Amino acid sequence: MFDWSFVQRYAPFFVNGALMTLFICAIGIALSLVVGLICAGIELARIPVARQLVRVYIEISRNTPLLVQLYFLFFGLPKLGVVWSAETCAIVGLGFLGGSYMAEAMRAGLEAVPEVQRETAYVLGLSPWQSIVRVVLPQAVSSAIPGVVANVIFLIKESSVVSAIALADVMYMAKDLIGMYYNTYESLFMLVISYLVILLPISLFGLWLERRFDYERR
Amino acid sequence: MTEQNGDAAALSVRHLAKQYANANKRVLDDVSFEVPKGRVLVVVGPSGSGKSTLLRAIAGLEPIQGGDIALGGEVIETGRPGSEKAGRSARSSELRTRIGMVFQSYDLFPNKTVLGNIMMAPVLVLGRDKAEVEREAIELLKRVGLADRKDAWPHELSGGQRQRIAICRALILHPEVLLFDEITAALDPEMVREVLDVMIGLARAGQTMVIVTHEMRFARAIADEVMLLEDGRIIERCDDPERFFTQPETERARQFLRTFEFERAGHDKP
Amino acid sequence: MSGADILLQPGVLPRLLQGLWVTVWIAAVSVGACIPVGLLVGWLMTLRNPVVRFLMRIYLDFIRIMPQLALLFLAYYGFARWFDWNLDATGACVLVFILWGGAELGDLVRGALQSIPEIQSESAYVLGLSDWQSFVHVILPQALRRLLPASVNLATRIVKTTSLAVLLGVVEVIKVGQQIIDANRFQYPNGTLWIYGVIFFMYFIVCWPLSIVARRLEKRWAND
Repeated sequence: MFDWSFVQRYAPFFVNGALMTLFICAIGIALSLVVGLICAGIELARIPVARQLVRVYIEISRNTPLLVQLYFLFFGLPKLGVVWSAETCAIVGLGFLGGSYMAEAMRAGLEAVPEVQRETAYVLGLSPWQSIVRVVLPQAVSSAIPGVVANVIFLIKESSVVSAIALADVMYMAKDLIGMYYNTYESLFMLVISYLVILLPISLFGLWLERRFDYERR
Repeated sequence: MTEQNGDAAALSVRHLAKQYANANKRVLDDVSFEVPKGRVLVVVGPSGSGKSTLLRAIAGLEPIQGGDIALGGEVIETGRPGSEKAGRSARSSELRTRIGMVFQSYDLFPNKTVLGNIMMAPVLVLGRDKAEVEREAIELLKRVGLADRKDAWPHELSGGQRQRIAICRALILHPEVLLFDEITAALDPEMVREVLDVMIGLARAGQTMVIVTHEMRFARAIADEVMLLEDGRIIERCDDPERFFTQPETERARQFLRTFEFERAGHDKP
Repeated sequence: MSGADILLQPGVLPRLLQGLWVTVWIAAVSVGACIPVGLLVGWLMTLRNPVVRFLMRIYLDFIRIMPQLALLFLAYYGFARWFDWNLDATGACVLVFILWGGAELGDLVRGALQSIPEIQSESAYVLGLSDWQSFVHVILPQALRRLLPASVNLATRIVKTTSLAVLLGVVEVIKVGQQIIDANRFQYPNGTLWIYGVIFFMYFIVCWPLSIVARRLEKRWAND
């Protein structure tokens, strides 16, 4: 009933799909971290106008589904003369969606540092730069890590949607095999295993990272 | 000018005025006093009287709108009208190290060990030699009885230990004035004593200090001078703590001190 | 401008709105059904029974680590064969959203219940309240305050996730949009941009107010 030979035959497909998923996610998440850092910086520095734009971006990004964002980028933008490959659309989409989540996580991390820490640094004579680098950032990073890790996992899960613009990721492989051979069990089995293999180590690594950077627990 | 001579008070505050943004009343109004070298001034008063704000203004954490603050005869801060929304004072790093401050809580850096906390400012700000600073830090830790905890992390310490470390961290900069903002208020009662003992030791060693506290018995024991603050004004100043605590001059001071006494059951009740 | 007037074609906007209605309806049914499931799951997770706890952990961890799209595939293609269910695409979506939303909400309920200090139920006990009275009058009102902002956020996530239904072939707002685009391919070649733009905007209009409500609740009930 469960056809192991099918699994053996098509497992390499899923390996390729997983590599595609990881490729898109690695670049997309890196992009989201950069966008998040810039946005959090602008909000914290209270730069006028830019700050309002960041708010608008965050609201739009958080309140629309990635699938619709991708359709817009992949099918809509070419009509404006902007033609991007599916890979580029997926990466930009993940960066656009993830940027707002990362910005919120980083801002929360910075806000978690008590004011008295900055005051103490000031009273001890530390320069603003020393205060940020030696006192505020280490603590902010420590409090932001759980949120950032959660976002990384969230974005990898969200990336399953890129199959909808014909990118051959894990999800796409499962859909393809079910459509072609009707080996539903085996395909779904490999789908689940693929995501577990990708996400479990990352979530365990995240837990380790949280502990490593938690000044209260190590 | 006779400024910066040997006789100048360690700290002098003249006609200090302070107002928060969006407030219609001053938190500090025409506050003037001096603390001579090696003396201890204790500031008492009901909550909201402006005690903490006074210390924060001296430390440069709050902008002032009137009057000035001088350290060893040298004016370091002058009030600027309309500066309510200004941030911390732009005074130099070197100047900030000359005034130490210990806060009520959460002021140790959780990302540094005990030694890391103490050694940070002398090394980073004053550029002193690391090994020499470490030797001095360990000497200070010995003085407060915590030499064996030099490599501990702040979260591994009790509240009382943390405050003693915070005092060491301020002391290593050899501040001309040390400010204490209710540093035992967040502590369990059994830890209050160990911190106050350290402060009494400092007073004996001739450290100039300004202390805000609610511990009246401690205030009586340590003060060279007591100052009662209410609604941002000095109500009474007295360089004889015994007299202040037993026979204050003003009615307000009597009322204030009475809040620390207990009524005897069955008496004084209608 | 070329293309924009596709939106003014008779029937285009009404059809999109009908599609949106299907989306909102799926989300609303799912959210509604999530609430009892979430309360049950949350309550089960506070029990001390190790077997119940273990099962709940597995359920929660599995649901949370799988992409929702993978869950949809499992339900639509897998359940249909395992249990011989004749589950249509809409049914599969609602089922997955209930299981997923129930797990997420359950974890929120657990967190909210456990965040109430033990001393609250002890005080209620000492005052003579029964277990039920203590739960209804003391614990639940406090737990709800902590629960509500995150639950509204969860509702927003469910609305956004309904967009995946199109990938199973449910005729909701995106599918309707695609049909309109296909039908007008030659007449309005630039229609794609506008139709997807409108759908983008529609999701935003549904989700944004929810986000605002969640943030307001969070602010009002923070630290008290």
